[in-house]
Amino acid sequence: MNQAIQLKSAPDPAAHAPFFVRGALVEGHEVRHRSRDLGVDFTTPMIDLDAIITPRTEPGPLFEVELSEIVDFLVETGRRMTLERNAHLQACARRIAATNVLPRVVIEQNIRMAADYLKKERLMELVEQNFGNPKLLDEWIERVDSTGRRSFTRAFPPRLIHVLPGNSPVVSVQSIAMGAMVKAVNLFKMGSSDPFMAVAILRTMLDVDASHPVPRSMSAVYWRGGDQQVERAIYRPQYFDKIVAWGGGDAINNVIKYLGPGLQLVSFDPKTSISMIGVEAFASDESLGEVARAAAHDVGILNQEACVASRILFLEGDRTQVDRFCQRLQQELAALDATSGKAPPLPRDMTEEVESLRAMDEDFGVWGVGDGSGLVVRSDQPVDFHPINKTANVVPVKSLGDALKYINVATQTVGVYPPARQAELRNGLASGGAQRIVRLGDAGGTSVGAPHDAMYPMHRFVHWIVHEDGHVRG
Amino acid sequence: MDTLSPTSEVDRLVRLVDSQNPFDMPFSEVLPRQLAAVNERLKDRIGKIKLLQNRAQAGGIGEIGRMADVVPLLFAHTAYKSYPEAWLVEKKWDRLGRWLDTVSTNRVQPLEPERIKSLDDWLEQLQAQGHFVNCSSGTTGKCAMMNASAADLHMAGHTLVQAHAWATGIAPQRDRRALMLAPVATTPRNVATQKLMVERFNAPDVEPFFYPALPMTIGSITEMVVLRKRIAEGTAKPAEIACYEQKAAQRERAMDEAVGAVADALIGSRDRKLYIMGLFGPMYKVAELVRARGYAGRDFSAENTGFIGGGLKREKLPANYREYTLETFNLAPHHLFHGYGMQELNTNAVRCKAGRYHMAPWVMLLLLDESGEHLIEPASGAHPAGGEHEGRAAFFDLSLEGRWGGLISGDKIRATWETCACGHRSPSIHENILRYADTAGGDKIACAGTIDAYVRGVA
Repeated sequence: MNQAIQLKSAPDPAAHAPFFVRGALVEGHEVRHRSRDLGVDFTTPMIDLDAIITPRTEPGPLFEVELSEIVDFLVETGRRMTLERNAHLQACARRIAATNVLPRVVIEQNIRMAADYLKKERLMELVEQNFGNPKLLDEWIERVDSTGRRSFTRAFPPRLIHVLPGNSPVVSVQSIAMGAMVKAVNLFKMGSSDPFMAVAILRTMLDVDASHPVPRSMSAVYWRGGDQQVERAIYRPQYFDKIVAWGGGDAINNVIKYLGPGLQLVSFDPKTSISMIGVEAFASDESLGEVARAAAHDVGILNQEACVASRILFLEGDRTQVDRFCQRLQQELAALDATSGKAPPLPRDMTEEVESLRAMDEDFGVWGVGDGSGLVVRSDQPVDFHPINKTANVVPVKSLGDALKYINVATQTVGVYPPARQAELRNGLASGGAQRIVRLGDAGGTSVGAPHDAMYPMHRFVHWIVHEDGHVRG
Repeated sequence: MDTLSPTSEVDRLVRLVDSQNPFDMPFSEVLPRQLAAVNERLKDRIGKIKLLQNRAQAGGIGEIGRMADVVPLLFAHTAYKSYPEAWLVEKKWDRLGRWLDTVSTNRVQPLEPERIKSLDDWLEQLQAQGHFVNCSSGTTGKCAMMNASAADLHMAGHTLVQAHAWATGIAPQRDRRALMLAPVATTPRNVATQKLMVERFNAPDVEPFFYPALPMTIGSITEMVVLRKRIAEGTAKPAEIACYEQKAAQRERAMDEAVGAVADALIGSRDRKLYIMGLFGPMYKVAELVRARGYAGRDFSAENTGFIGGGLKREKLPANYREYTLETFNLAPHHLFHGYGMQELNTNAVRCKAGRYHMAPWVMLLLLDESGEHLIEPASGAHPAGGEHEGRAAFFDLSLEGRWGGLISGDKIRATWETCACGHRSPSIHENILRYADTAGGDKIACAGTIDAYVRGVA
């Protein structure tokens, strides 16, 4: 028996990832792909490039549909997304579990969150925050300027390619909802670690009303990111206005090549989130416990797969205090295993670095082991590796102001303790590049309609068109 | 090697470097000897290399009884780049020294920090203590720093010379001109290896030739790495970046000019037998120029020999670059030495006439699964498993003194423990070697990431 082959056997049959093309499900097993994270195979149909394009001479299915009708349809879709009663989502959860590093329980939580996202008040609040006046999506809104010139403005529906991330199934529902509410022609390029969720939601829409313009405005397919045969053919201003892309490095470099006048990028850049903890944490043993629990919560979000998950924790305190905190934090991280499961073990490279730091006990402190159950590394400066799989890097500072030099444009969420110190830090954080300041422990929360990555995304999606009507007489 | 002991299995195996046919020892014979030798190394090093001590404790391994026991004790190459890069930027030599100590066999003593102005100064002071630190020459990533003893430097070159004779049938007889044409960094290992090649191959009546462009010291390579880090942090000023890019452009020009000088040297020595050490990327350009000047294979000696390695990073060469280059200098393929090795080890596996890389008896080959955690057992009971097996390559180089000999590579190989078609019985590796990093998909998209994704590199 060949053990070399036995060790790496893929589940058979490989998970099937059907496509969704302009309102219709497309089944087929013609192409076999391998998921990036776990190296698991999945099969998809061949992409029909012509079918995923809507020519500019053809208005999108949603262009003349009222926002209220779109929202009602989304809300109904949300109602049908109860995991227990939706076979598409159940199959989806099973398949994602095979291709994604997230544990099944976390994936199911995410799918429940996805359904919650499609609530009427929430969707309307999102539109209001992005546009001020939601009517801008439905009508040409009149305005007369200070010189007496009249114009009409509309947030006109765009043609969008959404390059979806593979690390958070909930992003699929957000992108679909936002794409629908701006009435766009939407093409979703799914990621290899989740080529299922977007299609599962769109199939649910077919169950609501298969002929509705919302599903007809949507296509969701998979191709391997960077596949020039596909990207050179369709990333063109003749077909699309904007590429809405998550990610950085290679993922974005693939896309940047195709940008130019007429084809723009709206990027959700890769982000790192951090925590800033004041010496107030050591006021009592009780407060220390609370702070450690809140910090662990922020570190452990989606087993630290998410951009909002904290990775570096700047902490005021002397060595003894800091080490006490580190120990408590490790215990709290380990306690999370009970609810969200262990994260995968650390990759070999990172283990090697951590173990080397452990060997230098004068300069570093290491609590826990790298098996995904929670690890804390204390160092004078942020470590060189990117902490993942429930790893917290605690960096002692004299004052939280000293940590501002480590803030950059890749810093997304900053969790602060005590909450009263948020105001003292927020200008410095924003100036350094950080985009979101929250109370420690609340990194996973969301203020509905708040800016994301320093922008109002839907405001960026649409095409702002003006119809100028000259000077108004009288 | 002045520390050889007749009772040591390590020494008995390493000494086979001077035997006639070291690549013929069958697995069944070499394995028990290697296990005893790795055990001997472990007993000695466990109290000396702190990272190993932690590893052995974590894995509960105090004794090597079988190959699987070695696996938890293997280091990944990242062990040698686990120092915080900020220490380089901030010139914290004392701390770097303490770090180096944890991955070294011999103690790194405190240095006089006031006499150290640069990384090159630091490395020089370490040499005075007998620590010859080699750096990987990656220009975009962190530098790996690997401590070596003087014996390691000698061994790295000596195994090459010996293997050269075994693989090509051409023994070093100081009867030819040696041309050292690889534009490599001046690490202690590269310098020592080149020196040894020249001593063994170059005829007394002719000057050897060395690649003429500006020497790249470890310090100058590290400057680039440090600057990249500072760009990421936002502490580098634009004028500094512009100045650096100018320097890099100068270096590029110097390398272009070197092509002419190298071509002149080759044409000028075409009447002699040659020993050529080079890299295919730059050598291809030289070959083009030599041909453009009207010379070809017929103008060079049919007894030329040499060692031409990869060097293809960032180079775009036509598919026939090998044949083209070798024909230009009349280098018969069987006169060319091919090794499969890495900076982290002293010893190369050597290519045989059947095109497979053979293991020296003092290097244990461990084939692991992709994760690097589980051994793919070569033998079940008394019978070695037949055929080839695919997996991640790992090695234990028993000749290593300055640091631990166990290493997990990033390479995906196919290996067999059976006798090779060339007739030699040592374990061997198929010539197609891939890097796991290249085989993994490149389309991971996630919202979590670092500033590195925004940083445009330098030069």
